[in-house]
Amino acid sequence: MKIEILGTGCPKCKLLEENAKKAIAESGKKAELVKVTEIGDIVSYGVMSTPAIVIDGKVKSYGKVASVEEIKGWI
Amino acid sequence: MMDKKDLKILAIIIATFGIFYFVPENSEWFNNSAVSGLNLLNEYAKQHVLTCLVPALFIAGAIVVLIRKDKVLRYLGSGAKKYVSYSIASVSGSILAVCSCTILPLFAGIRKRGAGLGPAITFLFSGPAINIAAIFLTMSVLGVKIGIARIIAAVALSILVGVTMAVLFREKTDDGELLIEEEKGKDLSYLTIGLFFALMVGMLIVNGLQISRLIRNIVMVIMAFLVIVLVIVKFSREIRESWLSETWNFSKMILPLLFIGVFVAGFIMPLLPEKVIYGLVGQNTVLGNLAASIFGAFMYFSTLTEIPILQALMSKGMHEGPALALLLAGPSLSLPNMLVVRRVLGNAKTLVYVGLVIAYSTTAGLIFGGII
Repeated sequence: MKIEILGTGCPKCKLLEENAKKAIAESGKKAELVKVTEIGDIVSYGVMSTPAIVIDGKVKSYGKVASVEEIKGWI
Repeated sequence: MMDKKDLKILAIIIATFGIFYFVPENSEWFNNSAVSGLNLLNEYAKQHVLTCLVPALFIAGAIVVLIRKDKVLRYLGSGAKKYVSYSIASVSGSILAVCSCTILPLFAGIRKRGAGLGPAITFLFSGPAINIAAIFLTMSVLGVKIGIARIIAAVALSILVGVTMAVLFREKTDDGELLIEEEKGKDLSYLTIGLFFALMVGMLIVNGLQISRLIRNIVMVIMAFLVIVLVIVKFSREIRESWLSETWNFSKMILPLLFIGVFVAGFIMPLLPEKVIYGLVGQNTVLGNLAASIFGAFMYFSTLTEIPILQALMSKGMHEGPALALLLAGPSLSLPNMLVVRRVLGNAKTLVYVGLVIAYSTTAGLIFGGII
């Protein structure tokens, strides 16, 4: 599974990354965490408000920091 | 073992100690400056913070919570009519983006998959220039006239810069839509939201009126009271809480730097060379306005600090025309900001964008300085 965190490096993006890491650890699943920081790449997902989380190519949430529980529900 | 956070604190302690160690002892200029800095802080605390800044922060927080972003974004999408996109982009800065780290993704999104380069540039410029706190603090500190001129000129300029860029560089937008999520209705009627914003903005307007202090304060207290009643009766607990937390986020972000900025502006006030300032920007000339625009474009101002700095410059004889030019070019552009924009736009477009902002700001300053 591939989890991508889209964000230019603002504090909220880091928070989302932490949450994603926790969710992966707690769920015990194998997942690769990738950070996407280039604006051009972020936009190619159709996302305008960061931070966003993309799981296996599908945008799951954007514009807010998804909670650990939410992310666990998606993976 | 010290971690990064501790090292940072140590660095701050050493820097603070260093400053006080090397402070010139009892020299006249330093004492004057320190007192001037404190006086300016005192003026802000007494006249501007409670009556202007605090309501403005609450409004900014309410905008984030109450305004449905999806509706605004739809007008910036690829299907929208051009004149609609431009006009929405020119004012949406105050609604969509209140922090610079959210502006860039929105800008890139509008440009690549939405209404295109022109409206995106309009948004990029107007975002930081037209925020409610900045407009009302300008009115409160520098005067109503220049505050109103700032709104009008910023809106007009943002559209002009956007249209010019779109004409100069023809860009195709990608296929593919933007993700615009239907936001849930906030279970508040338009009437409630309208009344709420009318009361909040009304407080700021009353504060700017030239009426007796007593009447002004009474009216403002009544309005504040009505807002509280409205919020208690109509707002759900959830909305109330997120409103307060957004307001708190803004306050944390803006206030500390603003207070430092006010002190610094007061501190340098006695040190500014009156002759040089008067000679350069004391009159409403092309050169004066150009100098102010260029200074504004390259200098970095943290949110709102352009206002005390300008206040210091105007006390030393800066004319209103160049002052407006600085207000226009200042918050939207800075050297660090140019470097970021360059990564997205490339050299040529960034250069033209900066040049256009400087040229238009100069012109707007000249016109305003001429009619005032």
